[in-house]
Amino acid sequence: MTSPAGNLAPTACPRCRSGEIRVLGKSPVAAVWTIFGCPTCFYAWRSSEPEENVSPDKYPAPFRLRPDDLADLKTIPAVPPRRSAK
Amino acid sequence: MRGAYKDLREFLSVLEQEGQMLRIHDQVLAEPDMAAAACALTEIGESSPAIHFDNIAGFTNARVAMNVHGSWCNHALALGMEKDASMRDQFFEFVRRFQLYPGALERVESAPWQEVVIEKDVNLFEILPLFRLNRGDGGYFIDKACTISRDLDDWDNDDVENVGIYRLQVKGPNRLGIQTVPQHDIAIHMAHAEERGEDLPVAIALGNEPIITLMGATPLLYTQLEYKMAAVMQGSPYRVVRTAKGLDVPWGAEYVLEGRVLCGVRETEGPFGEFPGYYSGCHKYPVIEIDRVSHRKDPLYDAVYVGRPWTEIDFLQAMTTSAPIFLQLKQTFPEVVAVNALYTHGLVVVVSTRIRYGGFAKYVGLRVLTTTHGLGYAKIVIVVDEDVDPFDLKQVMWAISVKVNPAGDIVTIPNLAENLLDPACSPGGIVTKMIIDATTPVAPDVRGDYGEELDKLENTDQWRTKLQGLIKEMRK
Repeated sequence: MTSPAGNLAPTACPRCRSGEIRVLGKSPVAAVWTIFGCPTCFYAWRSSEPEENVSPDKYPAPFRLRPDDLADLKTIPAVPPRRSAK
Repeated sequence: MRGAYKDLREFLSVLEQEGQMLRIHDQVLAEPDMAAAACALTEIGESSPAIHFDNIAGFTNARVAMNVHGSWCNHALALGMEKDASMRDQFFEFVRRFQLYPGALERVESAPWQEVVIEKDVNLFEILPLFRLNRGDGGYFIDKACTISRDLDDWDNDDVENVGIYRLQVKGPNRLGIQTVPQHDIAIHMAHAEERGEDLPVAIALGNEPIITLMGATPLLYTQLEYKMAAVMQGSPYRVVRTAKGLDVPWGAEYVLEGRVLCGVRETEGPFGEFPGYYSGCHKYPVIEIDRVSHRKDPLYDAVYVGRPWTEIDFLQAMTTSAPIFLQLKQTFPEVVAVNALYTHGLVVVVSTRIRYGGFAKYVGLRVLTTTHGLGYAKIVIVVDEDVDPFDLKQVMWAISVKVNPAGDIVTIPNLAENLLDPACSPGGIVTKMIIDATTPVAPDVRGDYGEELDKLENTDQWRTKLQGLIKEMRK
């Protein structure tokens, strides 16, 4: 369900369902939208977006993530070894 | 040739004069309206205009431009050519200027983007009119900005300064993810920085005049500076301003973000709808922290919609991909006439060439695979005769239809490395590549039964010039 800024704070990330949500920004015109972010998977969304982007139940299944999957993601580029001091 | 555009605003006003810019004053939602409009423009046709929004819900004075490069008309005007210049003419003009490298920098002390400076409590979500492009994107991406960096091991060498377009996911008020595939020059800068245990200073310029954006998307050598190539493409020295950290930024930029790629940090990023027309997956990518934002008063933000081809990104990658492949091919084989690497960043390449002797076309095809760009991209190479225009797909299809006998005209090479983002790779990053010889067999290749080809009647060219003039008059 879309929620106007400040009315209904989301309780879970639409993408990974983690419960920790942060407010990332608010509309310059007061109370039009709020941007929320998930510090677990870094998904961000605006309260005025279509339902599929703001609601965990409506978020498209092919794009869903589980927090446990994140550890297996490939690291690109690999972090190179430090040069040893001369 | 028209002179250089000093900034994006000047280019947009030229687009407007040429009937290539639409202004939308109705209020739009950040999502899905702006991306939906840009996507719709790609369906409208090959001369679609740029679009400018100035009334976006929740913002006070945000301005967003999209589809700025999104048609052959706009691309021609960006090059300072007539708006109806053909693809073929634009290709040859692009190639002509490309070979004039290097041009010069014009260094100046100040720029309009220094008008407003934010150094405390930077919040990109409130400074920039960010918006989601495709519904499965992991967040809000900046995708038309030039990211500038230098080599910490060679700081004063201008030629190894890099200007590149890399997708940037805005993950926090002053935190970005950046996609830096190992083949790109910024990855070299990052590697040196991380080996030294240091952050890599970067400057990110948004809202640029159209030429440097094209150069940021062009595969140049590590030792070539995009500003010097922009100078020869636009026909005059490229105006830059040095930041306090020592990075050169376009004078005409609308916004400049200054920060650092954090040493040794990798974080979940993506997905993002990418140039092959599919979403990339998620990866652990590097992170940039932004320390300062500067911008013009009433700044203009621009973004490129990336969708199932053809969308604006295909125009950005069209000539910028074709020209370097053509020049490398031509060095090896002077017979090569033109290269069309317009499709999906050169995953398919059509080459037109004179044939030295029977079987020659396959050698030309193999050389495409070993060009710098071909190594990571060209998967299907179609070779056609010198009198077949590789930019005219009707002619290319004709060549394939009558000059290909699959028994003997198809070469496949298995297990070659290719761009990870090609969904056909199996496993990821590995694919079989193919050359299709669609040229007429010549001695000693005596296959087929090719009699006399139909040719143009005498006076056809004069008639064409005359009729084009009459048609233009009739349609006024």
